[in-house]
Amino acid sequence: MHFRLNGQTADVDAEPTEPLLDVVRRAGCTGPKEGCWIGVCGACTVIVDGLPVSACLYLAGMAEDADVWTVEGLTADDPALVDAFADAAALQCGFCTPGQVTTAWWVAHRPDVDGGPGGARSPGGAGGPGGDPDVAALMAGNLCRCTGYQAIRAAVETYRAGH
Amino acid sequence: MSTVVHPSDVRVDAVRKIVGAEEYAGDVSLEGMVHACIVRSSERHARIEAVDTSAALTIDGVLRVVTAGDLDCALYGRIVRDIPVLAVDKVRYLGEPVAAVVATTRRLAELGAAAVVVEYGPLPAVVTADAALEPDAPLVHEAPWEYARAVVSPDDPPNLQSRAARGTRQEAEAALAGAAHVVDETYVTPAGHQGYLEPQCCVARWNAEAGSLELWIPNKTPYRLVEQLAACLGRPAASIELHPVAIGGDFGGKGSPMAGPLCAELSRLVGRPVRLALRYAEDLAATNPRHPTSIRVRMGCDTGGRLVGLVVDAQVDGGAYAGYKPMPEVSLRGIGHAASSYRVDAAYVESRIAYTNTVPKGHARAPGSPQITFAVESALDELALRSGLSPWEIRRRNVLRTGETGHEGVRYAEHRAAEVLERAERSIRPATAPAGTRHGLGIALYDRPTGLGYTSLRLTARADGDLDVGVAVPDTGTGSHTVVREVLAGALALDPACLHVRHLPTGALPGDQGVGGSRVTATLSSAALLAAERWQARGGEDSIVVELRGEAEEPITSYCAQVAQVAVDPTTGELTLLDLLTVVDVGTVVHPASHQSQVDGGATMGIGFALYEDLELDDGQVWASNLGEFKLPSVRDLPSLQTEVLEGGKGVGPANVKSIGELVNPPVAAAIANAVFAATGVRLRRVPLRAEDLWEALYPATAAAPGRPAVPAAAAAGPAPGGSSEQP
Repeated sequence: MHFRLNGQTADVDAEPTEPLLDVVRRAGCTGPKEGCWIGVCGACTVIVDGLPVSACLYLAGMAEDADVWTVEGLTADDPALVDAFADAAALQCGFCTPGQVTTAWWVAHRPDVDGGPGGARSPGGAGGPGGDPDVAALMAGNLCRCTGYQAIRAAVETYRAGH
Repeated sequence: MSTVVHPSDVRVDAVRKIVGAEEYAGDVSLEGMVHACIVRSSERHARIEAVDTSAALTIDGVLRVVTAGDLDCALYGRIVRDIPVLAVDKVRYLGEPVAAVVATTRRLAELGAAAVVVEYGPLPAVVTADAALEPDAPLVHEAPWEYARAVVSPDDPPNLQSRAARGTRQEAEAALAGAAHVVDETYVTPAGHQGYLEPQCCVARWNAEAGSLELWIPNKTPYRLVEQLAACLGRPAASIELHPVAIGGDFGGKGSPMAGPLCAELSRLVGRPVRLALRYAEDLAATNPRHPTSIRVRMGCDTGGRLVGLVVDAQVDGGAYAGYKPMPEVSLRGIGHAASSYRVDAAYVESRIAYTNTVPKGHARAPGSPQITFAVESALDELALRSGLSPWEIRRRNVLRTGETGHEGVRYAEHRAAEVLERAERSIRPATAPAGTRHGLGIALYDRPTGLGYTSLRLTARADGDLDVGVAVPDTGTGSHTVVREVLAGALALDPACLHVRHLPTGALPGDQGVGGSRVTATLSSAALLAAERWQARGGEDSIVVELRGEAEEPITSYCAQVAQVAVDPTTGELTLLDLLTVVDVGTVVHPASHQSQVDGGATMGIGFALYEDLELDDGQVWASNLGEFKLPSVRDLPSLQTEVLEGGKGVGPANVKSIGELVNPPVAAAIANAVFAATGVRLRRVPLRAEDLWEALYPATAAAPGRPAVPAAAAAGPAPGGSSEQP
């Protein structure tokens, strides 16, 4: 298959029906992790065409020609993202961290469009009508068993405030 | 990677974890590596009549199907060696490994495993501790006393894994008989997975020529695992090396050999490196979850509310094997610490752990403590009600004071229970319950001793003038490697950035006891201070190794009080946790950010235990088979978490530290259950605390209720708090 991975062209051998997670990991990006394997825990989160997806459920064939970013690419030129998590000590075992960081990037960069996917005012959206998107709602798809989330939340707020 | 210079207190592992560069076992890829998948039992208890591997072997890419007969190893276990690497002759629980398929890819290994056909001859099963301990119960093991290091004898009841008792039953019963008020209730807790997000995984490489074995496995007790593997595989310990890999969450679940022995055998049999990674569904169904318990508490006080007698009988489901329990007596020590915060004239605490045809149970954060604390701290509130005292007052009257010796017979250096309670009461910020709901506030108290252990450490001067710090103990995520750096930097008056902490392979250092018992900060900080002392006094050497085998000068314990505020919707029973205040008793906090994370993470895990987590182990089967059904708290499920740190306590060792890792999760469930009672008058004695149970108790079958047909208008008011609507 052919897609862009962290800004570079990637041509890899992949079955269209295999999870995108396996494909990006085989391509050397082992930051995204296999946790629950059913799209609940968020450890495998990657960005596909600007939106966070659970790469364990996202089929490789759906990412044909897509623009895919993993934690490696998102943090490479973004010291503010790294520092936000490091300074807040927003991690412990680190297994969920690549997914948390990836979603945090999206929280700060996502298009805030009425009714758009993930938009603050979309149906059932994060902030309610006209509300400020709530970090807790936006990050609820990324489980962490270690930290109790307080530090992660602080890191995401800090990073978002810088954008 | 970030080029920004971080302040010195940033965790040593922060940046590599944030950018996705940290290496976990599942990220290890070796030349020629192949993949394995386990064929698991579909029966709870059955003879293995036949294993047909022919279909699996026709799959292109399947290299080998392995059954028990192919293995050359013994039973394994942390104390009792009763676990077969693959089931021999019969299976004892649903999900037990029966065979393994090795293939060139994981997908092919999984296809191969699905193609293996096992014929079973079903046997009668026992699936609860109560049933297993009946005199005529079917036997899970025919002669469990014959296993190496067993703690039972032929005279014990059938299916007993272990029995632990403290005190004299007769004296405690007599004290209860003379009590003015007595509570006699039974509290029930479910099986629960530790919830680490990294499934169990192992990469093994057997080198036949060298006779050596290397493993990459997320295990928190590497030196002990080497000993266990040596015993199981019949190899010299010196021929086995564990390489350091990050551990993707532990909470007690990464202390057992788990995928290690099988993966090692598979590598030997196929002559190639093998990765054996579990899917999360396998991990939930068939690793080593927290023990379900049924705990009967009888507690009595005199007319002044002074505790005079306590009898605890805990019935514990140990599952099909005892080998995942690491304590020499094979007990859950938390249960033995029942009511350890209080003065009781006569106490008797007994727990019996049973073999059952269910997934074998292991350690989970503060083993036994969440269960016993839910029971005892709930019972204490029930006793307060009977005595006409407030929950605060009955605790104040009975907590141990410095200088006193509790019913466990240990004289701790200090007891700060009264101060912790006082701080809790003073720190409450009243939460607002939404209109139409009832507000309730509950308190619970817990204490946990801190000990020292054994570890070793190496300091080496680098050419650039910095210091390499080699440690033997893995950092399970708690920040222990950062603690080493902070303590050494302070003692050597060095910039922390000049200290490079690395976890070394086994064999590089003399040894280590492993992570457990909330003792790592105490042990590592003591070892680091010893190393700093030796380093400053050294002659010309550019490398030193120190070993610390520590005993605390005097017993140390620390307290945690929690106050939960809830809102209960009286029409639905829906329970919302509004606020959770945690007060912890500390000595010196070495790394505040990591300490706070342990508090927040502990509180969150306690909330999961209290409100959500249940493997739904029923009739021998784990029904919560994925993380959608076994629900861990997400950020959106949390109330505001308040923390109060009571500084100035007397801790262990020269760094003056107390435990934190397992201090915070145990009391949460009782605090919430007590708050629910305050809100509704309903006493829930089973966790998770569920809206359904609350609703059933609010509206017994005979009463009209919202949601039932023909509801009279009066029912909307519900029963009065403190009424007779106790859960059956």
